[in-house]
Amino acid sequence: MIELKNLSVTLGAAAAVRDASLSIQAGDRLGVVGESGCGKSMLALSMMGMVPDALAVSGQITLNGTAMPPRDETAWRPHRARSMAMIFQEPMAALNPLRRIGDTVMEPMRVHLGLSREDAIKRTLDLFAETGIRDPELRLRQYPHQLSGGQRQRVLIALALACDPALLIADEPTTALDANVSLRITDLLVRLSRQRNMALVLISHDLGAVARATKDILVMYGGDIVERGPTAAVLAHPAHPYTKGLLGARPRIEQAAGKRRHLPTIPGSVPGLFDLPKGCRFSGRCSVEMPHCARSKPENVNTEQGQAACHQLKEGHNGG
Amino acid sequence: MNTRYLPANLVIGAILVVLTLGVALLSVFWTPYDYTQLDIVHKFQGPSAAHWLGTDQLGRDLLSQLMAGAGNSMAVAVTAVVLGGSIGTALGLLASAYGGWVEDIVMRLSDLSFAFPALLFAIMLAAAFGPSLPNVVVAIAFINVPIFARVARASANQIWTREYVFAARAAGLGKFAISRDHILPNIAAPIIVQATIEFALAILIEAALSYLGLGAQPPSPSWGRMLSEAQTLMYLAPQLAIYPGLSIVVAVLGFGLLGDGLRDVTDPRLSRER
Ligand SMILES: Nc1ncnc2c1ncn2[C@@H]1O[C@H](COP(=O)(O)OP(=O)(O)OP(=O)(O)O)[C@@H](O)[C@H]1O
Ligand code: SF4
Ligand SMILES: [Mg+2]
Repeated sequence: MIELKNLSVTLGAAAAVRDASLSIQAGDRLGVVGESGCGKSMLALSMMGMVPDALAVSGQITLNGTAMPPRDETAWRPHRARSMAMIFQEPMAALNPLRRIGDTVMEPMRVHLGLSREDAIKRTLDLFAETGIRDPELRLRQYPHQLSGGQRQRVLIALALACDPALLIADEPTTALDANVSLRITDLLVRLSRQRNMALVLISHDLGAVARATKDILVMYGGDIVERGPTAAVLAHPAHPYTKGLLGARPRIEQAAGKRRHLPTIPGSVPGLFDLPKGCRFSGRCSVEMPHCARSKPENVNTEQGQAACHQLKEGHNGG
Repeated sequence: MNTRYLPANLVIGAILVVLTLGVALLSVFWTPYDYTQLDIVHKFQGPSAAHWLGTDQLGRDLLSQLMAGAGNSMAVAVTAVVLGGSIGTALGLLASAYGGWVEDIVMRLSDLSFAFPALLFAIMLAAAFGPSLPNVVVAIAFINVPIFARVARASANQIWTREYVFAARAAGLGKFAISRDHILPNIAAPIIVQATIEFALAILIEAALSYLGLGAQPPSPSWGRMLSEAQTLMYLAPQLAIYPGLSIVVAVLGFGLLGDGLRDVTDPRLSRER
């Protein structure tokens, strides 16, 4: 459905995303995890054709078999809302404060599907019911500030579903919500994905949510996809030193699923975009680093669970 | 900021504006006398029960003339500011949405029109098409276009960076729909503030142009023309100049204060910078 090949998003010499390749099919549920600034949002935005103008995009993006120019509004616009839709971290900020919620949610269906106002209202009410919005009739006429955070995020989900997208990208959808609400939103996303056979990309700092919601996982660090594979297997037996570090502080995720959790801290912090080492991005913080790691970029190798990019794996074949 | 507290300029401005607009509106339906009605026998009268403000050199009722002048002045200002403001706002939105050469053209054009003072432009129009109120409207509207284009563009540029605009783009909306449904409502506050201030200036310009004989032509009532007619009679009947002069002051001050007050309320940051 959507495929990225050797995608890089760069700012001058610095890369926010480096050489990322992935393919998403109907019904896939993919988690993307990694520390702040590692390029998760840029990866997501490149799938919407919405990378900020300041950054350059290279590589191939293929949507339903068609090669897409990375940043051509006229090429992407007809696909947005229909092929893919996105929800954001701050539901309050993502809703126009001066617009009735009904009007906001109805707009894409009127633009893309050409629905009459009456049909759009009917469809919006259906979507409100599907996404668990209370008092749907009332919500139509309300403004964003009149809703709670969780209800607002449900409104954004309804908005994203307006034109039955094949892919829903959720960029940290629950970071701004409290634990209980966040759990219910995550479960809602999973249910919607199952019922609609809609692909879901869940970007999150919350390993518990990713473990709960996704079938596959991408671990990113410093713009690189360092490990990937089935979520349960990768989290149970991480191969890459960075993934191990992420999980290190909390070996048993499943137990705490549902509790709000942030990625455990790895000693040191992510270097700035321009200070990243050329070779393995993780060198400098890695506990099993080798002398050439900083210079040469590790290739992806197959592991028991999936793939990881680390010189240790290549040389030692200690994929477990 | 305490939301129950209204700044004095806002309150006083609002009172003066309501007064002016009320009188202007009333004059459309009713004035004590027909303001054109001559009554030479009763010229230069002082205030009386029959003529509250007295009469002028031709015995016309002063209050009626002032009221009708208010109507004229407001009509000119409203038409000119709405016309110029709409065109300017649309151009500003366009410049902000499309950027690049579209923005360059709009902004260069507005630079160009800033170089033409309203008075000069009105004089040119009067020379070409003869002096008339419609030409005054066109002249005032013309100078308002670049002013609103700039305010709209600057405000819109800020709104374009908001996340809900990004979300609207992600939902597949084009620049036109976003400008209309998301940008415009969110720049309404600065536009309305600007309109109120420009309204005050429009009243002043209309009075000035009519005073110079480029605007309202006799017998059309106008504060500016009343002033110019009263000029030669200053020593004989100063009140003939004082009343229209005061009317202009009240109206201009009212809209000016209201605009400032609205700006203070809607954007405290701006008012502190002044
Ligand atoms: N508009 C921009 N212009 C230049 N650089 C940017 C811009 N937006 C993000 N970046 C840089 O791109 C890199 C990747 O950012 P991205 O937003 O994808 O990270 P992220 O993984 O989503 O982080 P977070 O978890 O904080 O959302 C960061 O180093 C960031 O500084
Ligand atoms: S390549 Fe080297 S530095 Fe990078 S994760 Fe593997 S061992 Fe650590
Ligand atoms: Mg992000």
